[in-house]
Amino acid sequence: MSPVRLARTVNHDLVASEQFDLAAHRAAVRRSRARRIGIGAAGLILILLLWQAASAILRDSVILPSVTQTARTFVHYLHHPYPTQSKSLGVDLAISLRRILIGFAIGTALGVAIGAAMSASRFTRQLIDPVIEVIRPLPPLAFIPLFIVWFGIGELPKEVLIVFGIVPIMVVATVAALDEVPDDLRLCARTLGASRRYALLHVQIPAALPGIVTGMRFAMAGAWTSIVAAEIIAATSGVGYLISQAGDYLNTSLVFAGIITIAIAGLILDACLRGLLLVVDPSRRS
Amino acid sequence: MGASNSNGTGPYGPLTAEPRTSSAAGPGGTVRPPGAEVVIGSVSKTFRRRGRRTVALSGVDLTVGSGEFVCLLGASGCGKSTLLRIVAGALDLDEGTVTVDGRPVSGPSPDRGLLFQSPMLFPWLTTRKNILFGPKAQRSRGLHERDDPELEAEAGAILETVGLQQFGDAFPHELSGGMRHRAAFARALMTRPSLLLMDEPFGALDAITRLRMHEFLLNIWQQYRMTIIFVTHDIEESVLLADRVAVMGGKPPTITEVLDIPLSRPRDAEDVDTEAFLTSKRRIRSALAL
Repeated sequence: MSPVRLARTVNHDLVASEQFDLAAHRAAVRRSRARRIGIGAAGLILILLLWQAASAILRDSVILPSVTQTARTFVHYLHHPYPTQSKSLGVDLAISLRRILIGFAIGTALGVAIGAAMSASRFTRQLIDPVIEVIRPLPPLAFIPLFIVWFGIGELPKEVLIVFGIVPIMVVATVAALDEVPDDLRLCARTLGASRRYALLHVQIPAALPGIVTGMRFAMAGAWTSIVAAEIIAATSGVGYLISQAGDYLNTSLVFAGIITIAIAGLILDACLRGLLLVVDPSRRS
Repeated sequence: MGASNSNGTGPYGPLTAEPRTSSAAGPGGTVRPPGAEVVIGSVSKTFRRRGRRTVALSGVDLTVGSGEFVCLLGASGCGKSTLLRIVAGALDLDEGTVTVDGRPVSGPSPDRGLLFQSPMLFPWLTTRKNILFGPKAQRSRGLHERDDPELEAEAGAILETVGLQQFGDAFPHELSGGMRHRAAFARALMTRPSLLLMDEPFGALDAITRLRMHEFLLNIWQQYRMTIIFVTHDIEESVLLADRVAVMGGKPPTITEVLDIPLSRPRDAEDVDTEAFLTSKRRIRSALAL
């Protein structure tokens, strides 16, 4: 070994060249997020103002009830049953949510399981892929009559309908998410001393989770489409049923109240999934 | 493992004239294994895809001594990455043998650290947790019984060694390109590899960050004295870094020539202007038949 002239120390000149304050960086990220939320809220308020102005000009509460009237209807029927169906908006919402959550849980679990099986084995993939590709473009609503014939008019056909709509979305999202995990990331884990099982549980699955959770957000939106349509066509309860009842009796403000109920419930469920996304993918926090 | 400190030369054998400073010592004063000796004997590899056979390597011989820094240099498709991955245990070989410290390679091992062109940090883990991944994965298989406080202490020391002590709680996306590479280094160092395999690790960095990383790498190597096999297609990079440069090429691909780089250590970016440096570059260019 040749004699050594002392190398400059690693730490100082490298760090000095790339100094930045992590806490300040994160505070700036939080500020820009607060700003984004503020602008978004302003957009929503603007729509409400336009709506209120339009209803004041039209002066016809069957065509377009005012924002204030809709808000009053919403608050009133939250607790009081609507005459033609003896359930309040709150109870109908609970019924719809129950259907959605059961269907969503089963559909997501099935979709992820099938997707994982397809990603793991070429045979399963080639076997199942055409089936998914045939089912995927079909509107789930086309199956409502069939599911009523098969499963009757209770809760089951609605839950099956949601599962049926969700599974293809989750299969496609799961296969894509698992396929996109670079082989080198797994190899990297293995060269760091991970067993195959440890690399699967601690690298491949966490790496695929952001894609899977993003798929869940699409699936949730699809679930609302399915359930509201099913309730309008063939149900005696649920927010969709209440909306169709209110429409039949020209109670337009209750139709709006029902739609807003769905919007709020949908936003809250999506916010939960977005929260989950931030947990599994820290890079989205900025 | 098991190297003794009793002779006062540190765990890497007699090293350099300069005593290592406290920051240069193995983090936490831990005992690190000396560099591994790698023997590659008549290695051949053929890829078969859709009925087409592509000979990636043919009869490759190379011996890399303990603590030596060897660059594999060649154009794209000359088989240098294939060879590196075979030594890493990520690819099976068709013919020949690869032994590291006398043991044949079979599968990936934490004794043989691998660094890629992209840092391959786990984006859902903070820098510190990325660094702790290896020891925790090994502990789950019962490969060691070091407890969390001990690992945390070593991780802290390594973060300091790579100049990321303030970024232990940062996520990879919050780091700059050079910092991500240093974090990947730190993660590989945590498993105390006796051999580091590097596959064009700085190829995606801008020229200035790259110069800094060269200096960083030479410093790390100076401190730890693991054996390094470094794949590159950059002649200047290979001369700056390596003790010897193995030039690859030919049809079928193999190592065509191995050249000594007679430059003194430690080296830094200024060495590229010296006469000896230019002579080495010329010799490599002619070996590549350019």
